[in-house]
Amino acid sequence: MDYDEAEVISRCQQGDADALKGIFDQYHKKVYRIAYGVVRQREDALDIVQEVFIKLFRSIKKFKGRSHFYTYLYRMTMNTAIDHTRKMKRQPPLNREEDRGVQLSDDAEKRPDRILAHKELEERVKLAMDKLPPEQKAALIFREVEGLSYQEMAEAMGCSIGTVMSRLHYGRKKIQELLKDYVLEGKEG
Amino acid sequence: MTDPERVLVEGHLLECPTCRDALRSMESLRNLIKSPVEAAVEKEELPWVWQKIEREIRSEEKLSWWKGIWDWFDVTPLLRKRVLIPAVAVTVLLILLTAPLLFKKTSSYPGQSVVEYVESQTYNVMIYETENAKMTVIWLFEGPDQERSTS
Repeated sequence: MDYDEAEVISRCQQGDADALKGIFDQYHKKVYRIAYGVVRQREDALDIVQEVFIKLFRSIKKFKGRSHFYTYLYRMTMNTAIDHTRKMKRQPPLNREEDRGVQLSDDAEKRPDRILAHKELEERVKLAMDKLPPEQKAALIFREVEGLSYQEMAEAMGCSIGTVMSRLHYGRKKIQELLKDYVLEGKEG
Repeated sequence: MTDPERVLVEGHLLECPTCRDALRSMESLRNLIKSPVEAAVEKEELPWVWQKIEREIRSEEKLSWWKGIWDWFDVTPLLRKRVLIPAVAVTVLLILLTAPLLFKKTSSYPGQSVVEYVESQTYNVMIYETENAKMTVIWLFEGPDQERSTS
């Protein structure tokens, strides 16, 4: 079935929950990807997806079409995910080891030493990302995970392209420093 | 990046080991950040999340009837600064304007006042005039002694 975004948004603005299903089908993976990129935990990322679409349904009347709908949705997702991270920092950590990390499918990848290495790497990346200021973290995820252009990032983050480039530069620099044991130095030979 | 720009960059990379190193380092970083996310998305089945969202929205719809009534009585907008400050200003102004009228002292005998009092050797005369009844009362005292005794 064709997805007519303008029509679906208009129906959703009139309170049609079935229209929201259309938007969900179209964007849930992207929203999950951004959410997971920020929190790096499955359960938290799923909670964020749920929260974002409920928020969207409540607030979609405010969307006037001055920007692309996806940048509006990405901004909402990023803000929700960052708020979620702040809330989590205030709460005592839960032991959710089983929730952490990627499920490995390949047999070779299921070897205990590989699983351990993956988990360690995931944990290091998460810790490094958590040390970045929210704006730099958002810029890195929009660029490296979602592959947005500078223009799209500027729209989603509500700032200029110059600011986007600056946040990306400092974010990359900081995370390269934090993950220097894992990032290839780039030296040839 | 346009095609000519791409050709230019690729040409430069062939010649410049420093930029090649920087690019490799950036790609490595991208891979570190992106690949776990991609793997997580690939494994995840999300449509069941929709059921939770839908349930939440439907329950909100049921509550919206009550909310409509509640909103009708809601005074929160009145407490917002944009409304509250002018409202207080208007109220104070009205109080200032009406207070003199409300607290104005009125005569115990409204509508009646002494128009004239005339003293003489034999009689003292006091003339009252009522405003409402358009009536004039002339009070004749027989002498200064009597007046003294009645006051």
